[in-house]
Amino acid sequence: MNQQPLLSAVNLHKTYRRSAEKVQVLRGLDLEVHEGEFLSVIGSSGSGKSTMLHLMCTLDKPDDGAIYLEGRRIDNLPAAERDQLRNRTFGFIFQFYHLLPELNALENVLMPQMIMHSAWSWWKAKGKLRKEAAQLLERVGLGHRLKHRPKELSGGEMQRAAIARALVNRPRVLLADEPTGNLDSQTGKQIVEILRDLNRREGLTIVMVTHNLEISHATDRVVKLVEGRVEAAVSDPFADNSQAVIRAASVA
Amino acid sequence: MYKLLLCWRYLKTRYLAMACIISVMLGVATLIVVNSVMSGFSTKLRERLHALLSDVVIESQGMEGFSDPKEKMARIMADPYLGPRIEAMSGTMEVFAMLQYRWPNGEPVTRPVKVIGVDPKQRGVMGGFREYVWNRYERIEPSFELSTERREEFEKHERFLLALEQEQPEEPRPPGDPPPPKAPPSPIKISEGAIVGNLIASFRKDVAPGKVEEVYLLNPGESIILTTVSGQRMTPVNDRFEITGYFKSEMSEYDANHVFVSLDYLQKLRTMDDRVTHLLIKLRDYNRDAEGVSIALTKLFEGEHLMVNTWEKKQGPLLQAIDIEKGILNVLLFLIIAVAGFGILAIFSMIVTEKTRDIGILKALGASNGGVMKIFLGYGLLLGAVGAGLGSALGCWLTIHINEVEGFLSRITGTNVFDRKIYYFDQIPTDLQPFMVVLVNVGAIGIAVLFSVLPALRAAFLHPVRALRYE
Repeated sequence: MNQQPLLSAVNLHKTYRRSAEKVQVLRGLDLEVHEGEFLSVIGSSGSGKSTMLHLMCTLDKPDDGAIYLEGRRIDNLPAAERDQLRNRTFGFIFQFYHLLPELNALENVLMPQMIMHSAWSWWKAKGKLRKEAAQLLERVGLGHRLKHRPKELSGGEMQRAAIARALVNRPRVLLADEPTGNLDSQTGKQIVEILRDLNRREGLTIVMVTHNLEISHATDRVVKLVEGRVEAAVSDPFADNSQAVIRAASVA
Repeated sequence: MYKLLLCWRYLKTRYLAMACIISVMLGVATLIVVNSVMSGFSTKLRERLHALLSDVVIESQGMEGFSDPKEKMARIMADPYLGPRIEAMSGTMEVFAMLQYRWPNGEPVTRPVKVIGVDPKQRGVMGGFREYVWNRYERIEPSFELSTERREEFEKHERFLLALEQEQPEEPRPPGDPPPPKAPPSPIKISEGAIVGNLIASFRKDVAPGKVEEVYLLNPGESIILTTVSGQRMTPVNDRFEITGYFKSEMSEYDANHVFVSLDYLQKLRTMDDRVTHLLIKLRDYNRDAEGVSIALTKLFEGEHLMVNTWEKKQGPLLQAIDIEKGILNVLLFLIIAVAGFGILAIFSMIVTEKTRDIGILKALGASNGGVMKIFLGYGLLLGAVGAGLGSALGCWLTIHINEVEGFLSRITGTNVFDRKIYYFDQIPTDLQPFMVVLVNVGAIGIAVLFSVLPALRAAFLHPVRALRYE
């Protein structure tokens, strides 16, 4: 894989302050994500997985280091451009679904579209956008739940709605922060299957953070974070040492 | 687009926001009602004061008045500037007097009054007099002449009294003396009429809460005695008058002090020939000409010791006091809305805290800081607008139905909310000005938005990652 990576993180450093104490979360993290790849990032809690995702999608700024999207540096862009990147280029799935409780499933899915459009252009394209969003919900198996509020949906259903929301603006990269962390194993598997399917059929680039090793098996490549650095990154998931890393991790 | 949707949903789903709406609503309604009632009182007062004083008044410095008002009027009308601007003029004479009448048990009552001599026809044209003359039950044409029936009755009564006097047993006289010559029949003097202030002739008694009854001490046809001083020598003069009507202007100061009599007769009684103390002038266009006319009149009568004033200047301190009162009241009442503003601040701060995670989500989905701020500013605007709208509706309804509301409150509490003995209006006067309603609305909405700026800024600058992690 010699082509330019779609998304790359170079020497990322990030420190959080927790009251008086400084917590160094990332200490020189390097990572490359290639177009069409389904990458999973594993690591114990506190190893900096979520922080890495937040930095990659420009929700937060690194203290040091840089993020590149197709070779263009994006972490130091003006706020308006970063907002636009989060809206159009990245899709984000959270562990706790994070749907807006006041809106029904369809409205939640439409939210990125509403943020993108002005009131007037929204009004003009409303019918078409609604139809597309409904189709997306149908695709993730929620066609019968369009008008339900989040509190009327199960965990799995909420996560499906969240996936549909992440996909509605046709992003280049889907970032998933422990998407199965709050679901039972059966439902979790279904969610990963949906992601796998999206990756295979549409070539969607996915970076998924998880600490469920079983789920990481379904991905093309697994990366392990230890103390804010990539401990082992293997470009070919089917190579022996990659399997060894996974096996080692699952034993640990 | 998402801003509108979220504002609307937050409004529909946060019952806490109802508290903000209600506080704005009550503030707006109170401001509208109080302003309307204050304006109503002030407008009514101005109307009455204006009517009674006419537009411009020329008055003498003392009680002696000035002579030859006809000549003065002719001079005014001949002036090329004044002539076309004046609609009517009327001379009057004002003087203090003692009024005396008898209680039904015969006990005398004396009270100070102001006697005003007017020509009922001329004064009637000026306005502010004719429309306030009543008999007990209805409006009547002002007149100081007794009706023919009343005149006959009066004459009969007087003759009867005279006859009683003459029937006294004659003193015994020595026989042979010629009988004394019979006294010539004295002409019966018919009393002049007087129109007395309604509050001199009657008092108001509470019958039930919110209801008062007028009890009359002086009935039409009953006599009063007015004692005043003559013009030059200041000797007391008095005469008997008979009541021909009541003056009911609903201005308690006037109704409790004024007695109107015929100008000619008052001049005769005070031996003042044709002198008057006041010359009332009604203009064709008060707003346009008041200043110019009073300046021209001052010039015209320079050196004649006469004062020229517009009615507003004469009542200046009173009118200013009302304006100041209204201004202060408005400032105080706006503080009510400011209190509502602090309520909005507190409740919005709570809502922002409650919505911290949603704010993080919106930012993760690409919403800008400005966009998040606009959600909460829009929310403040919406709350303010809904509160102000409901408050305006409530305020206007209360203003229009204020008398029913007052009656209802009086019945419930058993006390007089609006004491008619004090205010002497039968109805609470109101004047609902659309401009004032608009102003109050703009102020209330402005305050609602202003107080939501701080929570909105806090929401806008929330760190998205911290907001997402917020539990």
